[in-house]
Amino acid sequence: MKEESDNNPKKSSRRDFLKKSLVAGAGVVATGGLVEAYLDTRAAETGEKVKVLTTGGEIVEVDKGHIKYPRVSREESREGIPGKKFVMVIDLARCKNARACVENCQKGHHLPKGQEFMKVYLLQDTENTAPYWFPKPCFHCDNPLCVSVCPVGATYKRSDGIVLIDNERCIGCKFCITGCPYSSRVFAWRHYEEFDEDTQPYSPEAGSPGVEGTVSKCDFCPDLIRVGKLPYCVASCPMGVIYFGDIDEDVVTNGTETYQFSKLIRDRAGYRYLEVLGTRPSVYYLPPVERQFPVDRGFDGLDEEVEKRYESTPYVKKQRRK
Amino acid sequence: MPNEREITLLKEFAPQIEHTTFIQAIWMFFLAAIVALGFYALYVQIAYGHIVTGMRDNVVWGIYIVNFIFFMGVSYAGALISGTLHLFRAEWRKPINRIAEFITIIALLIGPCYILLCIGRLDRLYYLVIFGRIQSPITWDVIAISTDIFGCLIFLYLALLRDIAAIRDFQAIRIPKWKRKLYTWLALGYTGTTEQRERLHKATDIMAAMVIAIAVIVYSVLAWIFSVTLQPGWHSTIFGPYFVIAAVFSGCGVMIVVMWLFRKLYHLEKYITRKHFVNVGVLMLILAALFGYFTFSDYLTKWYGSERNDELLINLLFDEYYWLFILSNYVGVLLPMVVVGIKKLRTINNITISAVIVILALWVNRYLIVVPTLESPYLPIQDSRPDWLFYNSTWVEWALTAAGVAFFALAFTIGSKFIPIINVSEMADSSELEEEEILI
Amino acid sequence: MLNQHISRPMNKFTLAALFWLISVPMIISPALSAQEETETEKVEPLDTYLSFLATYTSNDTVVLTANLYIRNGRVRVDLQNAPISFTLSGNDEQMKAGEAFTDSTGKAQVMIPTSSLPRNKEGMVTYMADFTGTDNYVSSSETFMSKPARLEVSFYEEDSVKFIRVTGFQFSSDGEAEPISDETILLFVPSLFRPMPIGEVWLEQDGSGSMEFPLTLVGDSLGNLTVIAQIDEHDSFGYVKGEATCGWAIPKHLQSQDKPTRQLWTPVAPIWMMITLIILLAGVWGHYIYAVVELVKIKKSAKKEAVQEKD
Repeated sequence: MKEESDNNPKKSSRRDFLKKSLVAGAGVVATGGLVEAYLDTRAAETGEKVKVLTTGGEIVEVDKGHIKYPRVSREESREGIPGKKFVMVIDLARCKNARACVENCQKGHHLPKGQEFMKVYLLQDTENTAPYWFPKPCFHCDNPLCVSVCPVGATYKRSDGIVLIDNERCIGCKFCITGCPYSSRVFAWRHYEEFDEDTQPYSPEAGSPGVEGTVSKCDFCPDLIRVGKLPYCVASCPMGVIYFGDIDEDVVTNGTETYQFSKLIRDRAGYRYLEVLGTRPSVYYLPPVERQFPVDRGFDGLDEEVEKRYESTPYVKKQRRK
Repeated sequence: MPNEREITLLKEFAPQIEHTTFIQAIWMFFLAAIVALGFYALYVQIAYGHIVTGMRDNVVWGIYIVNFIFFMGVSYAGALISGTLHLFRAEWRKPINRIAEFITIIALLIGPCYILLCIGRLDRLYYLVIFGRIQSPITWDVIAISTDIFGCLIFLYLALLRDIAAIRDFQAIRIPKWKRKLYTWLALGYTGTTEQRERLHKATDIMAAMVIAIAVIVYSVLAWIFSVTLQPGWHSTIFGPYFVIAAVFSGCGVMIVVMWLFRKLYHLEKYITRKHFVNVGVLMLILAALFGYFTFSDYLTKWYGSERNDELLINLLFDEYYWLFILSNYVGVLLPMVVVGIKKLRTINNITISAVIVILALWVNRYLIVVPTLESPYLPIQDSRPDWLFYNSTWVEWALTAAGVAFFALAFTIGSKFIPIINVSEMADSSELEEEEILI
Repeated sequence: MLNQHISRPMNKFTLAALFWLISVPMIISPALSAQEETETEKVEPLDTYLSFLATYTSNDTVVLTANLYIRNGRVRVDLQNAPISFTLSGNDEQMKAGEAFTDSTGKAQVMIPTSSLPRNKEGMVTYMADFTGTDNYVSSSETFMSKPARLEVSFYEEDSVKFIRVTGFQFSSDGEAEPISDETILLFVPSLFRPMPIGEVWLEQDGSGSMEFPLTLVGDSLGNLTVIAQIDEHDSFGYVKGEATCGWAIPKHLQSQDKPTRQLWTPVAPIWMMITLIILLAGVWGHYIYAVVELVKIKKSAKKEAVQEKD
C-alpha cells in the first residue's frame, strides 16, 4: 500500500492518506477495544517501518512494533496478578451472535480463521426448550483437568485464577485438548501467516505469536488487564453480553454497566455450564430469560462460511425440514 | 558345548541362518520398500506440519494413537505367553516360545514410535524427562514403557543366551566371522556349567514374573490415559482390565499368524504342529469370550443408563460405524469361538484365518474406542469448519501404519536370520519321551 | 515616452505582447507545477473534534480535561502530542489557564485552584479549550460555561443503621457557598475496571441528602471503602465529584491465597502419588538389577573357568 502511493503519485488518494494518518496516531491507543484492534491490524499491514504524521505536521518513521501492551516474561507469567481472582459473566439473554467478540479476539491474538479462542454455539438443551446463542471462551476452571494431564507442565493455573499455556514448553501431545470437556482448546496444525503479524516477543499472557505444533486457548487477556483494559471480547461486544471482573472485589463490568457480581448472579439466577462435571469454572452464565432478540437474528449478516458452520445444529436442521 | 540333541537341531535349523533364499530376499525387499514409503510420509509430515494428517481440533488423536495402542497390546501378549508359560513350565510352548519373545520386543519398539508421530513438537521430546509432571498419565506411561522395554530386553537376552552360546560353539554352521564374533561377545562366555545354568534359571524366572507384572501395569496405565479424562465413552471404570484382555487377545492372533508364516517359510511342520495352533487357539477362544464379556458389559451399562452423551456415542457407533462395530465386536468375538470350539473346524488354516480376522477386529475396536468418542464431545462440534465434524484420515497416516506393520515383519525376518526361530536349547532339554510326543 | 525609446523593429504593441507572452507563462507555470506536486503530498486537512469538560473536585480544584480525536468512518482515533491551550474568562478579561499536550490516549489535562477562577455577574466561569491546528489537521475549539460547585461525602450512623451523607455547595461570584438543592447525585465505588454505581441521593433544600450504606459492599482487606459522589453533565455545574473513605465495607478475602499446594493440577504432586510411584519403581527396577547381577556373575564365573582350564 505504501509502495503503491510512492511509485504512482496520481493514485494517492485521500483514503490512502487517511490510512497513513490513522497510524499517524503514532501508535495512539484510543479508548475502546474496537479501535485498538483495528489499529493493530492496520499497523501490521504497512510493513516494517511506518510513516507517521505528527500533529506538528512532520513526517517521521516509527517502527511498527511500537509496543502497545507490555509483555511479561515466561517465568513471571506463571505468577498471577497479585490479589485478584478473575471471573466472567455472560448474559445469554442478550447474545445475538454478533460475533464482535470472536473477531476482536482473533485480531488481538493474531489468529487465523478456523482457530478461534471464543466460539459461539447455537444450543438447544431439549426439544421443547428454546434455542439460544452460547458464547464460550475458556472457563479457567478451578479444578482444571487440562492442567492435571499435561505431562510437561506447559499449562498452569495461576493464583489469579487464569489458566495459561506456555507455548515454549508445550510439546504438542494434545492430551489437554482431550482433557477439556468443554472443547476450549485449539491446536496449531501448521504455521499460519497471521502469526507473523506479531513482532513482539512471545509471552504466555499475550497468547501470541502462535507457535506451530502447540496448543492455545482463550487466556482472559492478562496483558490487557495489567494496563487496566478489559479483554477484547468484553470491550467489543455491542450488546454488552460479557461482564468481567474480580470475584474478590465482587464487581463485574461490561465496559458500560457495572454490577456487584454476587447480586447479579443471585438476581438473575446465574449458573455454571455442566457444573456436574466438577471442573468448577470461572465463567458464569445468566440464563436466556426475557430475551432481547429472537434466535434467528443471530443469522443476520453472517459470512457464508460462518453460516455453514451451523448447518449441523438441530435447530437449523429442523428449520430446513419445515 | 552343545549336546547331541542340540547339535541335531542346530544342523536342521542352520540353513535358516546361513542363507537367504530368493523368495525371502524379495519378501524383505518388498517390506523395505513399504518402510521407505513410510519414511517419505514422515518427511512430508515433518516438513508440512500435522495439517497433512486427518486430525483436527476435535479428533486430535487418530490412527497414530490407535496403532500405538494396538502394537503395545500385541507386545503384551507376547510377554504374557512367554512369561506365563515359562513359569508354568508348560512343555508344549517350547517351539513357539521364541516367536512370543520376539513379538514382545519388536512390537514394543514399534509402538512408542506412533506416539512420537502424534507429538506436535518432537524437538522438545526431552521435556518429558526434565519437566515431567508426576500427576500426568502420560508421564506414568513414559516411565512404564521405558521400564517395560528395559525389562523385556533383559528377558529376551536371558532367553537367547543359551542359543547364542550353542551357535557360537557349533562349528558345522557356516556363518561369517563377524557373526561368530558377535555371538561370542553376546554369550558372555556361557559354557553350560551347573552353576551358570542355575543362575540363568533363577534370573529368567524372576524376569518372567516381572515381565507379566510390568505388562499388566503398562497396559493399564495406557488405558488410564483415556479413562481419567471426562470424555463420554472413555470415562469408563473397566478400561484398565478391558484393555489388558483385548491386548492379550490381539497378541494371540498375531502369534498364530506368525507361527503359521514361519511354519510355511522354514518348513517347521515337525515342530510347530496342529497341537500348538489348537492350544494357542484355545487361549484365543477364552480371551475372545472374556473380551466379548467386557465389551458387552461396557456397552450394556452405557446403553441402559442412556445418559445423554452415552446415548449420542452409541447412536454414532450404530449410524456411522455400523459395519465396523459388527466386525469388531460380533465377528471378532464369535468367529474364533466357533472355529476353535467346533472340533471339525479346528484346522491349522481355519484357526489362522480366524486369527487374521481377530487382528483386524481388534484394530477396528481400538479405532472405535478412540475416534467416535472424540467426535461426540459434551459441547457439540459447532462453529468450526463443517469438514472437521468427522475424522478423515489421510494417506500419510495410512502409509505410516503400513510401514509399521512392514517393519514388524521385516524385523522378525531379520531376527530369524540371527537366531533359530525355535528355541534349540530348551527343546534339547526335553527327555526322549516328550520328544516323541511333540513329533506327532 | 515609451514610443521614443523603442528601437525601430519593435513597436509598442509588439513589446506589450512579448511582455505578456513571457511573463504570464512564468507566473502560471510554477502555480501549475506546484499543483502537480501538491497532488502527491497535499491533501485536505482532516477535521478534528475536541471534547472538553471541567470537573470540580472536593479539594477545591477544577480539573480541565480535553480530548482530541478524528473520525475515520465510524471509528474514532485519538491524536497524541497535540498542544491544547486552555483559557478562562469571567466578564471580559481572558486568563490563560495553561497549555498541555495530549497523551497517548488523546487526553490533555490541567488543574486550577477554584479560588482563582474568574467569574461573571451570575457567578459562571467560561472555559475555552483550543487546538490551533496544523497543515494536516483542522483547528478546533470548545467552550462552555459552568458554575463552580463542590460535593462532600460523609458517613454517619443513626440507631445503628449506617448512612452516607452527601452535601452540595455552589459558589457565587463573591465566593459565598450556597447549598445545592433539588438535585440527584449518583454514588459510586471504585473497582478494578470501572466505578460501580451503588445508588443515588436526592439533595434537599439544605443541600444535603443521605442513603443507607449498602452493607454487602466489599472493600479492601481491612474493610475500607471509598465512596464517590458525582454530578454529570449538569446545566449549571457541569461535572462535580467528591469522595471520602469509610471502614464499613466487608473486608476483602483473597481467594488467591487459599490456593492449595498439592493437587492434581498444582506444580507439586500429592504425597501419596509420589510414594506409590517410588515404591513401584523401586520394586520393579530392583528385580531388574538382580537379573543383571546374575548375568554379570555368569560372565565372571565363565572367565574363572576359562582361566582354570588354561591351568
